[in-house]
Amino acid sequence: MEKLPLGLALDLRKVVPYKTGSWRTMKPLYIMQTPPCTHSCPINNDIRGFLRVLADKQDYEEAWHILTRTNPFPATCGRVCPHPCEDGCNRRDYDTPLAINSSERGVGDYGLEHSLEHRKEVLTPRKEKVAVVGSGPAGLACAFHLAKRGFGVKVFEAAREPGGMMRYGIPAYRLPKDIMNREIEAILRLGVELECSVKVGVNIALDQLRQDYQAVFLGLGAQMGAAVNIPGEEAKNVFTGVGFLKDINSGKIPEVGRNVVVVGGGNTAMDCARVAKRLGADVSIVYRRTRVEMPAITAEIEEAMEERIMFRYHTNPVKIISDEDRVVGLLCVQMELKEADASGRARPLPIPGSESVLPADTVIMATGQEVDYDGLDNIGKRDNKWISTDEYLMTSLARVFAGGDAVLGQETVSAAIGQGLRAAAAIEDYLEGNVESSLASPPVVYFKDMNSYYYTRKKRFSKEAIPVHERLKSFNEIYPAFAPGEIIDEAGRCLSCGLCFNCRNCLMYCPDNAVNLHPATGKYEFDYDFCKGCGLCVKECPCHYIQLTLEK
Amino acid sequence: MMETTAEDLNRVEKKNLFASGHRACGGCGQALAARLVADAAGENTIACVATGCLEIFSSPYPDPSWRIPFLHSLFENVSAVASGVEAAYKALKKGPVNIIAQGGDGSTADIGFQSISGMFERGHNVLYVCYDNEAYMNTGVQRSSFTPYGAKTTTTPMGNRTRKKNLPILAADHGIPYVATATVDDYRDLQRKVKTALSILGPKYLHILAPCPLGWGHAGDLTVHICRLAKATGLFPVFEIVNGKVTNVLKIPNKKPVEEYLRLQGRYRHLFQKGEPSGMVAEIQEIANQNIERFNL
Repeated sequence: MEKLPLGLALDLRKVVPYKTGSWRTMKPLYIMQTPPCTHSCPINNDIRGFLRVLADKQDYEEAWHILTRTNPFPATCGRVCPHPCEDGCNRRDYDTPLAINSSERGVGDYGLEHSLEHRKEVLTPRKEKVAVVGSGPAGLACAFHLAKRGFGVKVFEAAREPGGMMRYGIPAYRLPKDIMNREIEAILRLGVELECSVKVGVNIALDQLRQDYQAVFLGLGAQMGAAVNIPGEEAKNVFTGVGFLKDINSGKIPEVGRNVVVVGGGNTAMDCARVAKRLGADVSIVYRRTRVEMPAITAEIEEAMEERIMFRYHTNPVKIISDEDRVVGLLCVQMELKEADASGRARPLPIPGSESVLPADTVIMATGQEVDYDGLDNIGKRDNKWISTDEYLMTSLARVFAGGDAVLGQETVSAAIGQGLRAAAAIEDYLEGNVESSLASPPVVYFKDMNSYYYTRKKRFSKEAIPVHERLKSFNEIYPAFAPGEIIDEAGRCLSCGLCFNCRNCLMYCPDNAVNLHPATGKYEFDYDFCKGCGLCVKECPCHYIQLTLEK
Repeated sequence: MMETTAEDLNRVEKKNLFASGHRACGGCGQALAARLVADAAGENTIACVATGCLEIFSSPYPDPSWRIPFLHSLFENVSAVASGVEAAYKALKKGPVNIIAQGGDGSTADIGFQSISGMFERGHNVLYVCYDNEAYMNTGVQRSSFTPYGAKTTTTPMGNRTRKKNLPILAADHGIPYVATATVDDYRDLQRKVKTALSILGPKYLHILAPCPLGWGHAGDLTVHICRLAKATGLFPVFEIVNGKVTNVLKIPNKKPVEEYLRLQGRYRHLFQKGEPSGMVAEIQEIANQNIERFNL
């Protein structure tokens, strides 16, 4: 035995420190939480992830790859999505929500400019093949995810070009066609086959697809304008909303004349009105309820109002008046709102004797859309309108899945992409025989759980839309893009809800030095030998990444 | 003396020179402060510690938490011991070395006041760090002369009737070159002050507010938050006194009422009978207002 220095009974170098971890009754844990932006996103995009990469590393390429893990259309969604993520953003309770949508647009555009390629997740091709019917957002998203997972995918499109409602339903001032084309091309480069001008149910039977492919996804969309059945509908220059937009987006510009009346309060109605305004007409929107009940996106209603489109509320069309087959006016009646109906909206009733005529050279009936079931009648329906599916998006027909507007009713591009993503996962599970692969996501973190002391207030960055008189001259986009530096700055506002952003608080505030930075992973770790469970790190963690749990 | 640049001063140090395994309560403000001070001072440091919580929980043989030389003295004489260490280094022509005398508020303001005053007056090159937890926590929460007005201790069960001794000003009036106050929530500021003090020749005094969850009656996870409130209410002004001039006062743009600070702590619970604040709360607010006016917070 080594001789100890005089006066020492123990060799201090061999002493094991007293492990104070045994005092603990509560135990802190690093637990990643779901941020509210991702939670409210229909595609569950990793918004926090791409913003952090931008803020920390200024790495647009990585940000694009993070976004396209879930969403193959960042540049498209960055323009047309009504961004529920921003409504969810915890910064709303602090100062102003982040400009997530514009940042997504910037990242998407970067991906297009640099022709970034999607990464395959499964490199060995699988033998199973899947047919996707419809090349709208739902169909293409489904094809994209299946192709990434190694499946052979063929997309059948009834129209001459792919894109579905993104191509034929959204005007160019909201979504330039070039952007969408290039995002579709990137999906096709994953090895997705595309055949256009083939209408499933007409040119090829659904049963044929069920024989030839191991699974079928129906992303039919709601492409048919719903009939309203008012007298005089057959006159020239009476359009359905979708029909009008399809004409415009296929390059057929109709003669709309001087006065255009659009009937309806949804997004299609707003789009029709704003397109007609750009064609030089005076436009009014006729809606039987009020602005509160309008189903259109708020921003679209506001922009339509800015563009001096007249809104006539409490007004319902009764009859289209025509002269020599050409529309000259729309007979309308005033409505009053009674108690709510099944949809939860006030029920409008006509006021007798309040009829009046609106002069009109063109009437656009944007009062709803339907699924085109031509040749697909044997599929199970909900409300006799939409395709009914089980929770795994499988229809009444075995191995046939469905998603998008045809299932949801009229919804957004993002909702359709989200359904495509889910259907792809369901198809993979089905073909592999998995019972259920998706794990429950961690709980959502809200602002009240966070420690706002460590954040600084900074207003949301925004850019003004171009002036109205400039807008109306063309079909150019109305919102200017953010510059790269502006996006980085905006990304720096992200609170990183529920995920560590290296603020070092836990490391610095632990009175017991029980937090260590792992040299290899760069992540913080608790040293449970010494942690007394005081909870100081939990309280001082700005983003609620640390939680106190009961010690077992 | 250390050569220090602005970058050195502002760098946050984490070296764990005051190591895990000490017996402080969960959430102890003093344990946190002691580590921040030791890490800022660095390896070339001798810690002289008076009797008190810090000495009790950090030094039991055979596993002390100190990774730097450590000298335990009595309650009343840590300044004298540190003076002796400094004199010894001078006599042996050794050094330079950072000598830090440390003590709680009891040993600093009451029992050891004569020795700290002597050390200042003689001009030893020692940094004195006072961990202020506003009572004798080590012996069971008895009143000290740092116990604030209105606070309950075991010896003032109805609330303390005297006001807190203002030692930073007393220390500065010894004519020493550097005096500062700090709290554990702003570790960057605290470590900067330790390093600034060590770069100055002569006696220095650093006063650190270190909440005691047990004695103050708050949950251990509130230690940092309570410090922040102590500053935001004006009850604990943070400033430096360099060569007799008050500088670098921490401004508080959003001042908070003292009630917010008091209500979180069990030692003030008697001031809120049936939830209503008693007259003492208004008097404490008056103390905060005086601080705000005096230091132009």
